[in-house]
Amino acid sequence: MLARTADALFWTARYMERADYLARLLETAMRAASLPASYGGSSTEWESAVASAGAAEEFYARYGDATEETVRDWLAFSPDYPSSIRNCLTTARTNARAVRTALTPEMWDAVSDTAVELSRFPARGMDSEELIRFLEWVKGVVRAFDGAARRTMLRNDVYWFVRLGGAIERADNTARILDVKYHILLPEHERVGGSLDYFQWSTILREVSANTAYRWVYRQSVKPWLVADLLILNRQMPRSLASCYEVIARQTDLLAEAYGRRGPSQKQARSILARLTGARIEDIFQSGLHEFITGFLDDNVQLGGSIADQYLT
Amino acid sequence: MRVHVDYVTRYEYDTPARLIQQVLRMTPRPYDGQHVRDWRVEIDGDGRLRAGEDALGNVVHMLSLAGPVRRLMARVIGEVDTSDTGGMVHGAIERFPPAVFLRETDLTRCDAALHAFAAEVAAKGGSKLDQLHALLGALNEQVAFDTSPTTSTTTAAEAFAMKRGVCQDLSHIFIGAARVMGMPARYVSGHLARSDGEIDQEAGHAWCETYVEDLGWVGFDAANGVCPTDAYVRVAIGLDYLGAAPVRGSRYGGGGEQLDVKLRVTPAGQ
Repeated sequence: MLARTADALFWTARYMERADYLARLLETAMRAASLPASYGGSSTEWESAVASAGAAEEFYARYGDATEETVRDWLAFSPDYPSSIRNCLTTARTNARAVRTALTPEMWDAVSDTAVELSRFPARGMDSEELIRFLEWVKGVVRAFDGAARRTMLRNDVYWFVRLGGAIERADNTARILDVKYHILLPEHERVGGSLDYFQWSTILREVSANTAYRWVYRQSVKPWLVADLLILNRQMPRSLASCYEVIARQTDLLAEAYGRRGPSQKQARSILARLTGARIEDIFQSGLHEFITGFLDDNVQLGGSIADQYLT
Repeated sequence: MRVHVDYVTRYEYDTPARLIQQVLRMTPRPYDGQHVRDWRVEIDGDGRLRAGEDALGNVVHMLSLAGPVRRLMARVIGEVDTSDTGGMVHGAIERFPPAVFLRETDLTRCDAALHAFAAEVAAKGGSKLDQLHALLGALNEQVAFDTSPTTSTTTAAEAFAMKRGVCQDLSHIFIGAARVMGMPARYVSGHLARSDGEIDQEAGHAWCETYVEDLGWVGFDAANGVCPTDAYVRVAIGLDYLGAAPVRGSRYGGGGEQLDVKLRVTPAGQ
């Protein structure tokens, strides 16, 4: 396969996954903001949404203030933010178009329609109901794409690159969700384990559609370390870091086998997976969740780089 | 190197056992030098097999079978990708500080002769790592590999007195001596893909790991006088054989036990 093709497949999946993440981020912020202020619902949700997206500097340089309008505009529609939902979907489509023959018709349908549909949603002046409809639509598109890939694709390197891109982006997003909530949101005078803290951790669960999963697994009230356990170490949870890395290690292995050559990507993926398998949530909290996440994000970016060097250029 | 392991243990009892309880430490975990591609533990018979973890981080399967049991087969089958790390063990699960592995156990306790042996090696001086290599060399010279005189309950001191033993005994002597010399040491059970092409083996392999300041845990295979390479599959660790043994168990009834082990360790491409 041409490196160029692999690159387009990889990034199509990554951008689709990122669009889903941003849609979830916005939805959560809206939900949080709609709570009474005494509950801790104030402007911080919007700041945290910006920070969660990893786009704080550009955002404040442009808008100055994080409010519902500015954040919505920036994360969902801004042409200047490369990872806004609009840009994600457009870039995914451009990439998919370049490798259209490698995709199944079902997948192409899921991506290609976005161009037309996107233009139907007005960029400005949406009320919350319209915005929610928009976000639902985005999540639906990503589900359709992912589902089409799993149901219809041949299990060869084309499929592996798609899965690899999706899993790497997903791991990155999960880690960011955890990190930002832990450090930015909780005001200093608020107690860890207090009502605001509790509310914020359940927001995380909602953000990744894991509320029910959490109850199934732990059968108790929301506790920070258990939420972190679910999202970092629990292999049953498809969004957890361990689960993403199982997928990543598997796909990189399959690629290595098919191409008859191993390299740094395989080595790094396995070593990260090994660390996640051996880790315990007590230890992670003891040495600092933030430090763990920062380390993980660096590793994940580095692996992205190795994959790019090895296969995509 | 890709190493394929197929390890079958068969038990047969003249009088059926009423109850069998076993602890299996047969499942490797990954570290920088090894990636577990695939690993399964299979039991023929209706019983409970529950996976868990022990205090040192080994994967443990608890097997319980209510009888009557006339025959039992436990099989582990799996594939591991290994790479040569020069004996260094990084990225493994460490649940305790190294000093825990200074504790002596019944199997590794040193008698006067072993103390003298350790002192003699230590007297040669050099860095900790040099001393360990000296210990490895001296042990290899003085103690011969011999499967006949020792059993699984032979202690380090007994084996050293006979100057004979299998990998288990040599490891115990090495561990005992290293601890006397002030270095934390532990027992490792696992598999060795043999370089002479022999695939069928009678038993698993065992070696040791010693903690060296600034380096971390370093492996030493006392039976072969080398540091572990990519031919080694690291399965479980313990203070001595008992803590890392592939199978430990007890049973009610079941007289006249016959045990049959079939172990095949195959390097890839063979």
